[in-house]
Amino acid sequence: MRLELRWSDVDEVTAAPATRLVGTRLEVDLAELRELLSADSRLARIRLELARPGERCRIGRVFDVIAPRAKAEGGEDFPGVLGKVARAGHGRTSALDGVAVVATDQQTDNVGTLAVIDMAGPNAALSAFGRTHNLVIAAWPSPSTERSDYLAAVRLAALKTAVHLARTAREADPDRVDVFALSPSPRVPPELAHLPRVAYVFQIHSHQRPTGLDEGILYGDPVRRMLPTIVHPNEVLDGAVLRGFMGRSVTTWAIQNHPMIRALYAQHARTLWFAGVVVTVAQATEPERVRSAFLTAGLVAHTLGADGAVLTKIGGGAPHVDMAQAAAQCEALGVKTTAVVEDMSTDGSAEGMLLFDFPGVDALVNVGSSQEPITLPAMDRVIGADDLASKLLGETRATYGGLCGAIEQVGATRVMAEVR
Amino acid sequence: MAAETLRVVCYLNQFFGQLGGEDKAGVGPQVVDGAIGAARAVQQALGDAGTVVATVICGDNYAAEQAERATTELVALVAAARPDLLVAGPAFLAGRYGVACGALCAAAQAELKIPTVTGMHAENPGVELYRRQVYVVQTGAEATRMLPEVQRLVALGLKLARGEAIGAPAAHGYFARGVTRNIVAGANAADRAVAMLLDKLAGRAFTTEVPRPAFPPVAAPRLVKTLAGATIALVTDGGLVPRGNPDGIEALNATRYGAYSIEGKSSLDAAQYDNPHRGYDTTWVKQDPHRLVPVDVARELEQSGAIGKLHETIYSTVGVATTLAQSARMGREIAEKLRAAGVDAVILTST
Repeated sequence: MRLELRWSDVDEVTAAPATRLVGTRLEVDLAELRELLSADSRLARIRLELARPGERCRIGRVFDVIAPRAKAEGGEDFPGVLGKVARAGHGRTSALDGVAVVATDQQTDNVGTLAVIDMAGPNAALSAFGRTHNLVIAAWPSPSTERSDYLAAVRLAALKTAVHLARTAREADPDRVDVFALSPSPRVPPELAHLPRVAYVFQIHSHQRPTGLDEGILYGDPVRRMLPTIVHPNEVLDGAVLRGFMGRSVTTWAIQNHPMIRALYAQHARTLWFAGVVVTVAQATEPERVRSAFLTAGLVAHTLGADGAVLTKIGGGAPHVDMAQAAAQCEALGVKTTAVVEDMSTDGSAEGMLLFDFPGVDALVNVGSSQEPITLPAMDRVIGADDLASKLLGETRATYGGLCGAIEQVGATRVMAEVR
Repeated sequence: MAAETLRVVCYLNQFFGQLGGEDKAGVGPQVVDGAIGAARAVQQALGDAGTVVATVICGDNYAAEQAERATTELVALVAAARPDLLVAGPAFLAGRYGVACGALCAAAQAELKIPTVTGMHAENPGVELYRRQVYVVQTGAEATRMLPEVQRLVALGLKLARGEAIGAPAAHGYFARGVTRNIVAGANAADRAVAMLLDKLAGRAFTTEVPRPAFPPVAAPRLVKTLAGATIALVTDGGLVPRGNPDGIEALNATRYGAYSIEGKSSLDAAQYDNPHRGYDTTWVKQDPHRLVPVDVARELEQSGAIGKLHETIYSTVGVATTLAQSARMGREIAEKLRAAGVDAVILTST
């Protein structure tokens, strides 16, 4: 399977009478876009705003961030959620570099899902979204819309916007083309047969909370009680996997630009052979966890024939242990593992960093502590969170987990916790 | 405050303070103006960056045998010299001396709000006792290379006194204090994970970024009675609380637990219970609390005589993102109450 990501660089986004890409300037007809999004009766009111890097602006109530992508040839846009269900990961996809669509949640103050983005100051450098031109969507639910429907509507609006923006690049000559192609896994050329086979175990959702019927995560499926399954890495890069609604330190953006898949592609046929991706969910009960862990290890060891595996998690503590159980089962089958964990300590003590201790699960990379306090300096304006503006405008205290994009559990970020 | 006026106080035992050997180990706290004995090496290492204004000395036995009194007296002597920094030791492998250095540094930090630094060998008992509170620089076992060892203590002490950022333990040679701090690494986590896996696959050395937890193993005690004669209690960290959560048990990172009577109840009525736990999907427990706390079945076992008695109080807390320290405290308190009530065994349900 071969996927081309055709990148167009954008260094300016402006409101304009028509939506088009002029060189590196993206012009957006905000009125037209708002009308397009207003067709969803679950939303009562929609406001669109632009924020640029370096501007003393704070985006509040961030729910998810989407990378602008549009299929140019082969396949559907965000299949199963926006487009019809069809295989993703092949053909050509247009992508805008330097632009992000930021969806906000106007309904809850739950810090587990909400975060801020700083467009200037020291925190801008900690997040990918402090360096992108951001189109921010604030939408309010219509009176009868329930919570899960509202979130589904907000996310759909962001996906529509991401496609709408990236379609401006379909006719443009791309500035760069990334090609993602793997030959069918079992057919390793003899001269590369010595390379270690490496699989990626990608936990895509956690069932720590009830999952909505419309919380499309894998090709539109809410992955309730999903058993581990194998996908091609290109499917992940091309819109088959979206983040669920409980988005602790994970954005859809990071999944669309998946750092682990990119890292494995970068080493593919050089220092390792990228054997494939196993997607899993963090289960709710112990029998489900045990079953999922050994089935995952079986796919990695027996089906993909991997010598090594990297694992990442999503959500909080239960998924952390879930992932470790899968890693331990891999090790038991002779597959060497590395896992990416958060620092789980809630009091900054090293003894609380890890919630497991399994044989062989001894190679751990960490993405830092989401609980560690961070200072948000004063800004000139707040968007996406009118009701919190007075609180978010001045200098205020937050945590790394409350700064969207500072910690990405899939490994996109450089923040790490060091034991002192 | 300019660096050249930095006031430093040193702490030494009777030997390094040149009072004498083991025969003088009983002498109490005393102070000498300026630098004496090993404190001269501190002055040498400080150069123009500071002045040792006083050297406080105490005998090893006095410090060990009347630890609290010695610390109080020593803190008072240190305070009188109005230092900006306290340098204690280095104590090398001398156990009594190391413990005294750690105790004085911890007390001076807490009471006088001044930075402190000490130095010891890895096997000095003072390291394990005080490294979490105090910067303890790693030294050799013996004072054969006094000046270079003291230079490392002083270098870290000066950074502390100047309020400069302190780097990783390896960069400054101190024992990890067991606290975590976010930093920005040179590469993203995905690249680091793939590199670490390649090292592991090739059999090369790699360094994990998270130490293995040292959860102390707790052996399950043997039940010395038959079940038919035993009183059994139900305890959970799954978050079951009476409706209204009367104890205000936190949804995560809990510091509280509740004790709830089940006297006269043959089962739990779902309408009377709730669950604030934010670490798992509580839908099914709210629907039927027995899925978490099986009072119904336990009552049947009590009726049939399979167990002697069901304890009439259930204990509950929320086990998610709870610190090890809070978990240990709550567990200890609950265990003490159960033992005082004559409970023989516990069914502990988790999620």
